[in-house]
Amino acid sequence: MDLSSLMFYLLAFMAVFFGYFTIAVANPIFSALNLALTMITLAGIFFLLDAYFIAGVQLAVYAGAVMVLFVMVLMLFDLSGEVRAFSRGLMSGIVKVGSALLVMLLILLSVLGYYGERLEIGAPPSTAEVVQPTTQDLAILLFSRYLFAFELLGLLLLVVAVGVVAVSRIKGGTHARD
Amino acid sequence: MPGIEHYLVLSAILFTLGMVGVMMRKNVIVILMSVELMLNAVNLSFVAFSHFNADIKGQVMVFFVMTVAAAEAGVGLALAVAVYKKFKELNIRFFEQLRG
Repeated sequence: MDLSSLMFYLLAFMAVFFGYFTIAVANPIFSALNLALTMITLAGIFFLLDAYFIAGVQLAVYAGAVMVLFVMVLMLFDLSGEVRAFSRGLMSGIVKVGSALLVMLLILLSVLGYYGERLEIGAPPSTAEVVQPTTQDLAILLFSRYLFAFELLGLLLLVVAVGVVAVSRIKGGTHARD
Repeated sequence: MPGIEHYLVLSAILFTLGMVGVMMRKNVIVILMSVELMLNAVNLSFVAFSHFNADIKGQVMVFFVMTVAAAEAGVGLALAVAVYKKFKELNIRFFEQLRG
């Protein structure tokens, strides 16, 4: 087993471990911490996949900005009165987890069915001699072919920035209490 | 170097974890975090396909998904703030009363 395989299995185990605790701990602050760790391990996996720019953006935007946003909003609230973190009902819980496991089983069967067959034939897609695209290729594509979509993203962020301020200042409505 | 199926299996496991979180949790912010986990799992499969096909377009897609996910988190958290202002609690059941 070479170093990259070892790194992959270590990072994959950590990602699943932290991902499980993201949804399993009752305290939302610990959920946020575990989610940040999941995103950092995923950035490591992106690094293994030669996606250096995406790994950097994952660290800066996701593990940095989005998680800071989550934690800041959590700190605005007084959540000490919250006792029930999970939905109630044993039967509905079994149905929910069962349906999620069914989805996972379907994905796993299709993935393993497709790639297992290809591996048995004995022609695994060899990637060693294929030259991997670099960050420069990504930038050229982003600013030529996908320039319009890129500018639209900027417009979306502007609209969201204004809309978030408007929504968070909502007062009254039909259910105003004070 | 592990093959593409390893990455896809990891992506499926993370996606399922996020899905269980969305369905089982009551706190709005934890539900939003679970959605982020699902989006990250999808990003992982995009990057894996991009790597094993030596095609950069998958990474362009991941870039777009990340931006839209950040916007979605912003809007969701603003709604959570609005709900907390009114009900002093962050339970998902208050969202059905968000009219007007």
